[in-house]
Amino acid sequence: MQLSTLLKLNIFYMKHFFILILCLISLSINAQNNAIAAGEKLIYTASYNMSGILTDIAQVTMETSEAKTSKATLLRLKCSATTYSKWDNFFKIFDLYESYVNPKNLTPYLYKRDVKEGNYYKFMKYTFDQKSNTIKSLQRKRNNVEENKTFSINPGTKDIVSTLYNIRLFDYTSMSVGSKKNFIIVFDREEVKAQITYLGKETISTNIGKKECYKLAISSSENVLQGKNNNLLWLTADENKIIVYGKFKIPVGNGELKIKSAQGLKN
Amino acid sequence: MKQLFTILAMIAAIFSVIISVLPISNLAIFPAIASLLFTSMAFYLSKKTGEVKKIIPFIFLLTIISLGLTAYKAIFTKAEVTNMQVLKEKEAESKEKAIDELEDLDLDDINLE
Repeated sequence: MQLSTLLKLNIFYMKHFFILILCLISLSINAQNNAIAAGEKLIYTASYNMSGILTDIAQVTMETSEAKTSKATLLRLKCSATTYSKWDNFFKIFDLYESYVNPKNLTPYLYKRDVKEGNYYKFMKYTFDQKSNTIKSLQRKRNNVEENKTFSINPGTKDIVSTLYNIRLFDYTSMSVGSKKNFIIVFDREEVKAQITYLGKETISTNIGKKECYKLAISSSENVLQGKNNNLLWLTADENKIIVYGKFKIPVGNGELKIKSAQGLKN
Repeated sequence: MKQLFTILAMIAAIFSVIISVLPISNLAIFPAIASLLFTSMAFYLSKKTGEVKKIIPFIFLLTIISLGLTAYKAIFTKAEVTNMQVLKEKEAESKEKAIDELEDLDLDDINLE
């Protein structure tokens, strides 16, 4: 296989790896938000394991801010993934995922996904109707063809961004080792079932210091995640419960997500 | 045998140089090690027969250059995103549009504030 093909393949899977990171879980109950506030900015480095050597591929940023309308102030949850500049001549990725949620319990009202990966472009918008459990979606592709679709969802189904933030609202102190939580997330206008298993506490070294963490294993109904305990997340065992480290195994290899910096934490 | 090792060393050295200039430069270590091994073998066998061809030190030099470049990039090159301004503008534009869309939604029934 040619080197450039191999490179593109690796980045292609990196793209899915990022989606996967976002695609972990969907919360079925609305916990109260005491961990996340506007102004929080977390920066991560996503690395892919190539022949046993980890190669930094992209920068992942998770940021929160206020979104004020004339009626209310919502919380904007933003996740973006950008390839490092050294990859620009080979393959450029700029993925933007946004979710506008109720700041009290992170219930989503509007979700937007704007994905630009090389020559591939996709825009997806969901407008949630929490009363009737329906989503009005709009999909746009590179040729500007728009597709509108309204579909029903299960109560508690969330988009991937609000889901990712929602896992920080759990009270892990009251969970016993081995206990599980089930979620439903909506991605590409389809509901996906996922599960997290609490594996206990672990202290790890990160770029923001040595942290005591809650260790979680993730699995999904799709075959994207390989193995039972191969996809792991470490959340700080404090009030903020920020993700500091993630390990993922996908069909063509494995990768890591490491925190680079954390600003504006609530607690 | 001597020729075989020389050819293998040359191929590995060329791969090592190519990979070392790519963003995946840290992977150049594998062909570089292979090249060093093959070069050593070719050198040893040549020495035995009493004639060391000029190509062998040349391959060795290529391998050292690729290793040097790999080490330099690993130590001094920072992984960073340089086109942040464009990205920030795109994000701000997206937020503005989203707020307009949220204005059209019925948010009265939820106790946000």
